Amino acid sequence: MSVAAPSAVPSAGRASGAPVAPCRHVRTAELMGTVASAHVLTASPSPDPAVAARIAAAQRAALDELHELDALFSPFRADSQISRLRIGALRPEDADPRILEASEACVRLAAASGGRFDANRQGWFDPTGYVKGWAVEGATARHLAPLLVESGVIAVGLSAGGDMQLLTAPGADWTWNVGIADPLRPGAMRAQVPLRDGAVATSGPAERGAHIVDPRTGCAVVDAPTATVIAERLSDADAWATVAVVAGFDDLSWLRAAPDCAGMLIAADGRVRRWTHGVEIAEADVPWGR
Amino acid sequence: MKKIVYAVLATVTGLVLLFSYRTSLEAVPPGASGTTGTAGTTGTTGSSSGSSSDSTSSETSASSSTSATGTGTSSSTTSGSGSSSSSSGLKDGTFTGQAADTRYGAVQVAITVSGGRITDVSVPQYPNTERRDAQINAQAIPILVSETKSAQSAQIDMVSGATFTSDGYTRSLQSAIDQAKA
Repeated sequence: MSVAAPSAVPSAGRASGAPVAPCRHVRTAELMGTVASAHVLTASPSPDPAVAARIAAAQRAALDELHELDALFSPFRADSQISRLRIGALRPEDADPRILEASEACVRLAAASGGRFDANRQGWFDPTGYVKGWAVEGATARHLAPLLVESGVIAVGLSAGGDMQLLTAPGADWTWNVGIADPLRPGAMRAQVPLRDGAVATSGPAERGAHIVDPRTGCAVVDAPTATVIAERLSDADAWATVAVVAGFDDLSWLRAAPDCAGMLIAADGRVRRWTHGVEIAEADVPWGR
Repeated sequence: MKKIVYAVLATVTGLVLLFSYRTSLEAVPPGASGTTGTAGTTGTTGSSSGSSSDSTSSETSASSSTSATGTGTSSSTTSGSGSSSSSSGLKDGTFTGQAADTRYGAVQVAITVSGGRITDVSVPQYPNTERRDAQINAQAIPILVSETKSAQSAQIDMVSGATFTSDGYTRSLQSAIDQAKA
């Protein structure tokens, strides 16, 4: 686990010309095979020392909770409850109640997604595709959201490997600007999403190769698109981004069963589809003069 | 000659803003949707035309609901300055799409372009159920970099991408943002 020192350097000014650039307090930790970043933005560079201490404590608590859930759920750890459940060393009734909670959510998702999301596809319960988003959502709500009542705190956000839950204090002059990475050009952005409160998750074959398997066939998804889903809750955004990747670029029919969301697909060849409120926004090929 | 081509491209991109809205569950064949005769529902560009035609969705018959749910609104209306912004490729103004039928009810989306950027996305017609959801997602449409004047990383607060490994993180923009140096 590596924890970066909280930094207190003013971030770049907003394009909208906000009068005072907020100060960004960041703490990171390596977990779940990636890096999690806890962000807290304050209006002034140096908040009250007591507030600063509570910010740091909340960030630690949020990241600690992700560590704890990682230890509980990781199929890559022999001593995790998921691993012990798999080999029968732990009875389901003795498992942590959060495992049952995740299990029930995965059952609902499998039904709603027509089997495109299936935590039991390998014959045992592996909720890896669900836990990260759900854990980040919960840790944000439990540890970072309470900071929004603190003097000077304008926004909080928690991201793990590019999936994030973001919150903004009511009335604060702030909108998160989330960059959506271009899977075809590493390091470049393909789109931006302005968001005050909500979650953004992206799934796709980039970075980790063909790790996306269609549970209905057991095969890796060929030419899988990269899918970004924006929803109120990260547990939804993360899971449905996975569904969108499995469904493929040509199929948005799953939106019928998904919660209200916006998002974008980027095909392997660079084509893009976008939607909001379950409605695709297509570029019209209109004649001159209309 | 090149200049002319660029000018045409800019105009075409501006016209692109006459977005068509259709429910995603409908597989609207370009020909079928074109029969509505409205600017907003003509065939789509390369980004989705292929999928429109080869989709095997059983909901194809539902495509007629696109026009049925238009509820008399003209498919696309334009207001505002109307001055085109060739530097960015987006035409200033407000563009309202045709209402589309979703599982939540009829949804209509309007966008405002100012200075070549999408500055606002509103939902003038939305099922009056979850007001807060509408608020949350009203601005949540991903704005393509090609639709913005610039996409400088300095404006990015968080990066969403296919999960990076902890090794990939050290090379990432998110890492730079976390160090407050972006």
